[in-house]
Amino acid sequence: MILHGDGAKPIYIQIKEWLETEILSGKIKADQKIYSQYQLAEMYNINPATAAKGLNILAEETILYKKRGLGMFVSNEAREIILMKRKNTTLKNLVRDLVGEAKRLEVSEPALIEMIKIANSEEENK
Amino acid sequence: MNVIECNQLSKAYGKFDALNLLSFRIEENKITGLIGRNGAGKTTLLKIIAGYLKKSSGELRVFSEDPFNNLKLSANTIFVDDDMNFPPALTIRQLLQAAGTFYQNWDMDLALRLFDYFEFNPNQKHDNLSKGKRSTFNMIVGLAARCPITIFDEPTTGMDAAVRKDFYRALLKDYLAHPRTIILSSHLLNEMVEILEDILLIKNGEKYFQMSIADVKEFAIGISGQKQIVNEWITGKEILYKKSYTLGNTYVVVRNDLSEAELESAKRKGLEISPVAADDLCIYLTGDTKGGIDDVFDRG
Repeated sequence: MILHGDGAKPIYIQIKEWLETEILSGKIKADQKIYSQYQLAEMYNINPATAAKGLNILAEETILYKKRGLGMFVSNEAREIILMKRKNTTLKNLVRDLVGEAKRLEVSEPALIEMIKIANSEEENK
Repeated sequence: MNVIECNQLSKAYGKFDALNLLSFRIEENKITGLIGRNGAGKTTLLKIIAGYLKKSSGELRVFSEDPFNNLKLSANTIFVDDDMNFPPALTIRQLLQAAGTFYQNWDMDLALRLFDYFEFNPNQKHDNLSKGKRSTFNMIVGLAARCPITIFDEPTTGMDAAVRKDFYRALLKDYLAHPRTIILSSHLLNEMVEILEDILLIKNGEKYFQMSIADVKEFAIGISGQKQIVNEWITGKEILYKKSYTLGNTYVVVRNDLSEAELESAKRKGLEISPVAADDLCIYLTGDTKGGIDDVFDRG
């Protein structure tokens, strides 16, 4: 991942989302230890407090759990939580933006749905 | 634990108040960025903390002691700037040796590795170094000293872009391995913003705010769109900056204390909402006059 400085999302959100993607893709599995704030700071050249902020949000969302003195680990339900969250917020917002743009371009609802179908079959044939 | 406590600190040069009733605290092992425009009082403040200058009034405690004329603190503090003075008779390689005898935590191995990496000629004299090379050398001394209080005043002056990047990376890596209290001053906030934990913003010798970098980035929000719609939408809100563009478009920066509903309403009205970069925000907040450079040329 390449971090985007100012203008885009806050860095701690980018860190949090990157970790979520690592969990979703199965690179870090349930009950495995996640990177420490210091490792993340070193990897992404950021202040460890910024990295800690991203980790703490994931802990609040019970995607991670803390083991005292050992660090943070991926919870059993982590994947499930991330999937739900991405569907309910990220995907919903993307759809909202998509509909808004279609409206500005005067693309009708059936035409938009047709476009989605085409994109979907292209994706499946990859 | 607070390593620096500053209450109502003032410093006057004759009739000019460089610092005016400044109060703040700096916690142990944090990296703080000291930000302000030219002449805001950054260097004066840092030199008082380092014990180089005497305050006029107020209270300043560094590790619970007054830093002025304090030998114990001066062994535990390093102040790096452009004007660092070194004995002119010694070569830069000998200077590293000399620094090692003064600073208890001095890491000669790190100093020499950086010395080689930046391709210094050991027999050169400090006075003969180019501006960028001198900054780089001073930075090496500042890092290798590993002082509990490490202060860099405009450290990257004269360094080229690659060296600047290396400097901040080196600083962060050494900080991760050996945490210590670091204060960095620069007017180029952008280049160092990601390695900071806190920002202390001063304006005309007074504190404007001190907060975490995450809070700074969420402090304000930019709204742009059709002038009329923007003006309607911002009534009653605290405006931090405003700029008009051609074709009746306006960009306004307001305090980010808006509810989700307010943001939604802005979006529905076709206004564009964008985050405000930390360095832009600091420029807006420390501007002396409303408006900007355009107004100077705008003679109606």
